[in-house]
Amino acid sequence: MSDMKKLFPIQHILGYVLSLLLSVVALSVVFLDMSAAVGLTILIISAAIQMGVQLFLFMHIGENGSKTALYTNLVYALFVGLVTVFGTLFTMIWGYQ
Amino acid sequence: MKWDEFFVTGEPMIYGAMVSIVVATLAILIGLTYFKKWGYLWREWLTTVDHKRIGIMYIISALLMLFRGGVDGLLMRGQLAKPENGLLDAQHYNEIFTTHGVVMILFMAMPFVIGLMNVVIPLQIGARDVAFPRLNAVSFWLFFAGAMLFNISFVIGGSPDAGWTAYFPLASIEFSPTVGNNYYSLSLQIAGIGTLMTGINFIVTILKMRAKGMTLMKMPMFTWSVLITCVIILFAFPVLTVALALMMFDRLFGSQFFTMANGGMDMLWANLFWVWGHPEVYIVILPAFGIYSEIISTFSRKNLYGYKSMVWSMIVISLLSFVVWAHHFYTMGHGAMVNGVFSITTMAIAVPTGVKIFNWLFTMHKGKIEFTTPMLYALAFIPIFTIGGVTGVMLAMASADYQYHNTMFLVAHFHYVLIPGTVFAVIAGFYYWFPKLFGFRLNERQGKLAFWTIAISFNVTFLPLFFLGLNGMTRRMYTYSESTGYGPLNLIASIGAVGLAIGFIILVYNIYWSFRYAPRDTTGDPWNARTLEWSTHSPVPEYNFAIEPTVTGLDPFWEAKKGGHQLYQGKFEEIHMPNNSGQPVILAILFFFWGFFMVFSWWTPAIISGIAILIMLAVRSFERDHGRHIPVKEIQETESRLRGEQV
Amino acid sequence: MKLDNTLPLEYRSEENSNRILGFWLFLGAEIVLFSTLFAVYFALWNRTGNGPGGHEIFEIGPVLIETFVLLTSSFTIGLVINSMRLGLKKPALIFFGITLVLGLVFLGVEIMEFVTYVHEGATLQTSAFLSSLFVLLGTHGAHVTLGLLWGGGLLLQIKKEGFTLDTSNKTFIFSLYWHFLDVVWIFIFSFVYLKGMM
Repeated sequence: MSDMKKLFPIQHILGYVLSLLLSVVALSVVFLDMSAAVGLTILIISAAIQMGVQLFLFMHIGENGSKTALYTNLVYALFVGLVTVFGTLFTMIWGYQ
Repeated sequence: MKWDEFFVTGEPMIYGAMVSIVVATLAILIGLTYFKKWGYLWREWLTTVDHKRIGIMYIISALLMLFRGGVDGLLMRGQLAKPENGLLDAQHYNEIFTTHGVVMILFMAMPFVIGLMNVVIPLQIGARDVAFPRLNAVSFWLFFAGAMLFNISFVIGGSPDAGWTAYFPLASIEFSPTVGNNYYSLSLQIAGIGTLMTGINFIVTILKMRAKGMTLMKMPMFTWSVLITCVIILFAFPVLTVALALMMFDRLFGSQFFTMANGGMDMLWANLFWVWGHPEVYIVILPAFGIYSEIISTFSRKNLYGYKSMVWSMIVISLLSFVVWAHHFYTMGHGAMVNGVFSITTMAIAVPTGVKIFNWLFTMHKGKIEFTTPMLYALAFIPIFTIGGVTGVMLAMASADYQYHNTMFLVAHFHYVLIPGTVFAVIAGFYYWFPKLFGFRLNERQGKLAFWTIAISFNVTFLPLFFLGLNGMTRRMYTYSESTGYGPLNLIASIGAVGLAIGFIILVYNIYWSFRYAPRDTTGDPWNARTLEWSTHSPVPEYNFAIEPTVTGLDPFWEAKKGGHQLYQGKFEEIHMPNNSGQPVILAILFFFWGFFMVFSWWTPAIISGIAILIMLAVRSFERDHGRHIPVKEIQETESRLRGEQV
Repeated sequence: MKLDNTLPLEYRSEENSNRILGFWLFLGAEIVLFSTLFAVYFALWNRTGNGPGGHEIFEIGPVLIETFVLLTSSFTIGLVINSMRLGLKKPALIFFGITLVLGLVFLGVEIMEFVTYVHEGATLQTSAFLSSLFVLLGTHGAHVTLGLLWGGGLLLQIKKEGFTLDTSNKTFIFSLYWHFLDVVWIFIFSFVYLKGMM
C-alpha cells in the first residue's frame, strides 16, 4: 500500500484529476448555450489554469536553482507570444480598413 | 530537369563566377593535399569545440560574405552610376539587391557579431568555455551550411529575386517560379536554427558561468549587451522559423497562406517577417553598442558613465523592439489607429538609444582620449549613427512616411544605421580584440588609413541617397532616364562605393601585412585595458585561465593593475575540457544536402538525408563523452612557455 | 567534476543543471513558435475560401480521445520522474513505456483525423484556413513524433545504464518537453476545436 502511495504521490494525482476536470469545464462551451464572450472567457481561464497545473505540479518550475531566470524566461516568452498573437490580429484584422 | 535549367546560363558574369569558383576550389584542394594539411584542418579546425577557434571561423566566414555582399553592392552602384545603363538587366539587378541584403544582414553582420561574442564572452566573464561547446560547433556549422546553400543559388538554379524581405505575392510560386525563393526559405531556416542555439548557449553561459564575485551588475557592458541580444534572438527567431516554414509550404506544397485566392493573406507574410525583422535590427545593433562601450571606456581611460542606465536602456530596447514592427509597412492600408500606435512605440524606442549616446559622450568628457583605430571607429559612429537615428524618427511618423516610403531615403537611412552601427563596430571590435587572439596588433597607420577611407567614402556613397529619395527616386529601380535628373547624385554615390571598396582592400592588406611584420605583443594587454580578457596571455591558451579568476567590482583587471585586488588566488588544479568531435560538421553537411534536395523538390534524396539527420541525433544521444582532463604538469609547462621562460 | 549531493541526480553536476536551464530557454522559444502559429491560425480562421469551415469538419469524438490520452501521458511521465527520484528503475520504465504507448495512440488518432479531413475534401491546399489548421496541428504532431523517437531511444538507455547522471538528466529534460506538448495541446483543444465548434 505504502509502495503505491510512493509511486503515485498525491500532488500528481491531484494535478491529473484537476486537468481532466478543467477539460470538462472547457468542454461545456460546446454543449451549453452561452454567448461567445462567456465561452471565450471560460476557455481562456481554464487553459491558463491548466498551464499552471502542468508548470507547477508536473514540471517543478519552482524547485530549480535558477528560479528567477526561469520565471523571467516564461514571462518574456508569454509577452512576445501574446504581442505576436494580438499584435497580428490588431494589425491585420481589427485595425485593417 | 535539363542541365541548362539546373545551372544558370547565358550570363557572362556568372560564367566568370563559375570558373573562378571551380579554380578557387581546386586550388584549395590541391594546396591542402600538397602541403599535407588535411589532418591539421580536420583535427584543429573542422572538429574543434573551442569557442575561440569557432569565433575565428565565424569571423573568416563573415569577411568572405562581406566580400560577396560588397561585390553585389558595387555591381548595383555600377548599374546606377549613369542613366539608362546596361551593365545589368532588370532580372539580374533584382537578384543582386536581394542577395546583397540577405548576405549582408544574415551572413555577414550576424556571424561577425556572433564570432566576436564567441571570442570574447567566455574570456570576459572568466570562464573556460561556453556552456555547451559541442552545441556551439553545431551552431557554427549550421550557419555555414545555410550560408553556402544560399550562395550556390547564383550558379545552380538561380538566385532569389524578390528582395531580402521576400514580400508576397511577388515571392510566391506564381510570380517567382524559379527555385530562388526556395533557396531563401531553406537556407535561412538552416542558418536560423544555428542562431537560435547560439542564443540559448550564451544565455546559459552568461547566467551560470561567470567568475566568482561577478554579479550581474558587475558584468562588463559587452557581456550585458550580448545577454540582451541573445534574449532577443531566443524570442524573435522562432517567428522567422514559422514565417519561413509557411513560405516553404506555400511554394513547395501548395498551401494557401500568402496567396491571392482561397482566403490567403499576402500581407500576413510582411507582418510575420517584421515581427522577427525589427528585433533582428537590434540583434545586430546591441552588441555593437557593447563593443563601443568597451572601446570608449578603454581609450578614454575612464569607467563607463551611467552603467546602470546603460543596462536598463538595453532592457527597455529589448522589450520595445517587439512592439514596433508595423512601421515597416505603414502604407499597407491599415487604419490610422494602427499607424498611430506603431508611430508612438517607434518614437519611444529612440529614447533609450539617445540615453546611450549621451552616456558615451559623458564617458569621454574629461577623459584622456587616445586615438587608436578602434577608437576612431567609435568616435565616427556617434555623429553618423545619430544622422541614421534622426532620419529613422522621420520615417517613424506614419503620415510623413507616405512621402518617402520605399524611396532611396529609406535606403540611405538604414545604411546610416547599420554601417556605423554594426559594420564599424565589428571592425572596431576586430581591431580591438585581434591581439588577444593572435598575439600582435594590426598596424595602426594602415588601420587609420583604412578607417579614413571607409568613413569618408561611406558618407560620399550614402548621403546623396537621402536627397535622391526626397526627389522621388524609389529603391530597387534598376535604371532611370536622364530627364529625372538623378544622374549626378547617383554618380557621386557610385564614386563613393569605389572608395569603400578601396578602404576594405586597405583593411585586408593591413591584416596581411601585420601577420607578416607586426611586432609580437608579450604583455597580453596591449591597450592598457580594463576587463578580464586582458588579464590572460595572448594568444589565449586553450583553457583560457590557468586559475579561475575572482572578481570584486567592475573593471576588475584595471583595479588589479592599480594594485588593489588579486585576480588569481589559489594554485593550479586539473582542468576539465570538452573533446573535439566530427559530428557537428557531418550534421551540417547533411542539413546542406537536405536543404538542397528540398529546394529542387527531389523528395527521395531529401527524405534519405532527413533520416540521416535523425540518425546523427540518435548517435549523439547514445554517445557518452565526458571530455578530458589537462594535468597540472601540462598547465605549468604551458604557463611558463607563455610567459616566455625556457622549459 | 563538481557535484552537489543535496540536489536530485538530474541537477547534480554543473553540466546537468546548465542543460536543464538551457532546455527551459528552448521551451521559451517554443512558446513563441506556437504563439506565431496560433497568430496565423486566428488571422486566417474564417478565411475558408471555397472550402469547409471549422464547425463543418471538426468532430468532438476523436478530439476527446486525443485530449484524454495526452493528459494521461503527461501524468505518467510525471510519475516516471517521481520513481526516478526514488531510485526505482522498474516502475519508472513501466510508466515511461505507458507514456510512449499513449503518445503513439494520440498520433494514430490524429493521423486518422487528418485522413478523414482529406477524404472530405479538406486538404492543405484547399484554403488559407485549412493550411493554417494543418500546419498548426502538424507542427504539434511532428513534435510528438520526434518525442516518441527520442523517448524510445532514452528508454533503451535507461534500461541499459539505469539512472546515472546522464540518463536522469535526459529523462528529466524529456519530461519537460512532454509536459510542454501537453500544454500546447490544451491550447489547441480549447482555441481550435472547442472555439471552432462553439
